[in-house]
Amino acid sequence: MIWLGAVAVTVLAANGAARLRRAAGAFFLVSLAADAVGASTTSLPLLAVAACAGTVSAAILYVAAGDETYGEEPGWRLWMATIVAGGATAAAFASFRTVAAGIAAPPPPYGDDPAGVTVQVAAFWLLSSGVAILLSARSAVRATLGALLMTSGVQLLIRLTTGPHLALSLLVAWLQVVVALAGAFLIVNERVTRDR
Amino acid sequence: MILIATGGVLAAAACVAFAVRKHLAIVGPLTVLALAAAIALAYATPVDTTGDLLDLQLRLSALGRLSALVLFATTLLLVIHVWIDEPAYNFFPTALAIGACVYAVFVLVEPLAICGALILGLLLPVGSFTFHVTENRSVEAAVRHFEFVALGGSLALSALALASGLPHDQPATTFVLLVVILFVAFALMLAAIPFHTHAALLASEAPTPALGLYFGVLVPATFVAFAEILTLSGILPAIVQVATVQDLLLGIGLVSALGGAVLALGAADLRRLVVYSVIANLGAALVGMATLSGPGIVGALAIALVTGACATQQLLAAGTLEARAGMDTPRARYAPLAAAAFVAGGIGMIGAPPLVGFPGRFFVELIAYQYSGAAGTALVVSTLALLAAQLRAVLGLFSDPVDPLRVERRPVAGVIGAVIFLTLLVGGLLPDVLLRPIAAFVEEFLKALRPL
Repeated sequence: MIWLGAVAVTVLAANGAARLRRAAGAFFLVSLAADAVGASTTSLPLLAVAACAGTVSAAILYVAAGDETYGEEPGWRLWMATIVAGGATAAAFASFRTVAAGIAAPPPPYGDDPAGVTVQVAAFWLLSSGVAILLSARSAVRATLGALLMTSGVQLLIRLTTGPHLALSLLVAWLQVVVALAGAFLIVNERVTRDR
Repeated sequence: MILIATGGVLAAAACVAFAVRKHLAIVGPLTVLALAAAIALAYATPVDTTGDLLDLQLRLSALGRLSALVLFATTLLLVIHVWIDEPAYNFFPTALAIGACVYAVFVLVEPLAICGALILGLLLPVGSFTFHVTENRSVEAAVRHFEFVALGGSLALSALALASGLPHDQPATTFVLLVVILFVAFALMLAAIPFHTHAALLASEAPTPALGLYFGVLVPATFVAFAEILTLSGILPAIVQVATVQDLLLGIGLVSALGGAVLALGAADLRRLVVYSVIANLGAALVGMATLSGPGIVGALAIALVTGACATQQLLAAGTLEARAGMDTPRARYAPLAAAAFVAGGIGMIGAPPLVGFPGRFFVELIAYQYSGAAGTALVVSTLALLAAQLRAVLGLFSDPVDPLRVERRPVAGVIGAVIFLTLLVGGLLPDVLLRPIAAFVEEFLKALRPL
């Protein structure tokens, strides 16, 4: 539960960052918190894969920023995205919870969460925040941030599936890096257009 | 092993091509050779060959083999065009990497992995969409494309991950919601109406070979992936049980078919005409899929593959006509062979006989009538509107007199158009080559639909 709070706070920080480098730093913390949420239900190699993808993606965004000043002011979008994410997370958890029907008690503040409740809530929070940020983005900066948050959410959801975890985690990790690279490419080109 | 080798050749060549991308004399032949090798390997791979990669299962189905051959050949033609007529150095590694992703889509068996590979492929053209960024809105168009793919792709992956993790005793509404999310996600990635705004912006701002890569290769691959994912994910029985879900897919298809055709009628330029025609055809294909019937799905997949080839043919011709006309309005007199290729592509796009596009369109319209009179009528109206839109463009192109003995310099688009037209004609004379592998897939689809 503690790590779930960390995911919420770091997503809020990334969403509220007006400078791309701060958003990149906040996204790095988001990915760490998301890994910590999933640590109890995931093996070490899968955690390492997700952590590497998060770190590399954050580094790509940091470099793409070019300097400390570049970014996009979120303004009202910060609160809109937060409110939408709150509502959507609750609705998604009510509709799609995959935990066993017998486990009704909330997970403990510390320690294991074998039912995967926190993993699923964190995934829904990341996905719904990403959707809200993507839909309200005016430029490649926030579009990339939204897309990265969504891929982090997907990475968490995949841990709850019954399929081939290692290959799927690797694939989504690559996807996250490609999203960051494509986003960085667009950010750099968009800046060239704006600076002229 | 051969399954991994085909994708491996393309992936390795993409890495090398990226390293030498600014040396056109090296990267052009390298890309052509790699794609030719991939075509040869895909052709040599027997149907139903299986393999493993990490803990993922691989299998090349008859449809996968056919789609890979068609889309590799389309990519090869695009690469030849760019190499000879319109050098753009970042096109080559992009085309090869997309080839590798598309092949992965066709050989993977796990729905989540298919979807992941598809999204990787759809994100890659971002680099080739942007050009002359200070003079046009190509960056804005690429950003919109990026947003739609990221949104659609993540939603599709989430829906599939949830579907695979859900216990089977869930209420029907849960599966319905997941299927609705999956449909909307694929509508976003296919640029179906009303999720087509990025496609319209791309049509006017991106270079035509990059558009060819997207609408000629990736969009058909997305459609085939959609059919494969529906088959493999186990959600088809839930779709049959709830008619609303089937109606939603039918609705998206009909809106796209009619809307795309109407937009094509009013298209201000040749590129937009092609892009809206693709959207209209994919709408018709979605209607075929929504009928959940053998002929409907055969027709839908045939339409998707043929539309990709025709879109490539028309987009390359449109690009050549625009380039040769300069600041003037594109007319056939500037590039007569390219204009002829555009006309030939239009014939294929509307599914006219004797080209191979005809059986697919015929099946879908026939089955749509059986499903409901309104759906069948809407598809026929859409086809007629597309015919009128293509005729309007042709009349515009040939409004000035054309010297029949004069051919443009370096008629690459014209020659490529002739190759595609002849292929579609031969396919029309031997329709089994296209339809039999699709029919083999449809058998699997129908088994997944009604497992008992």
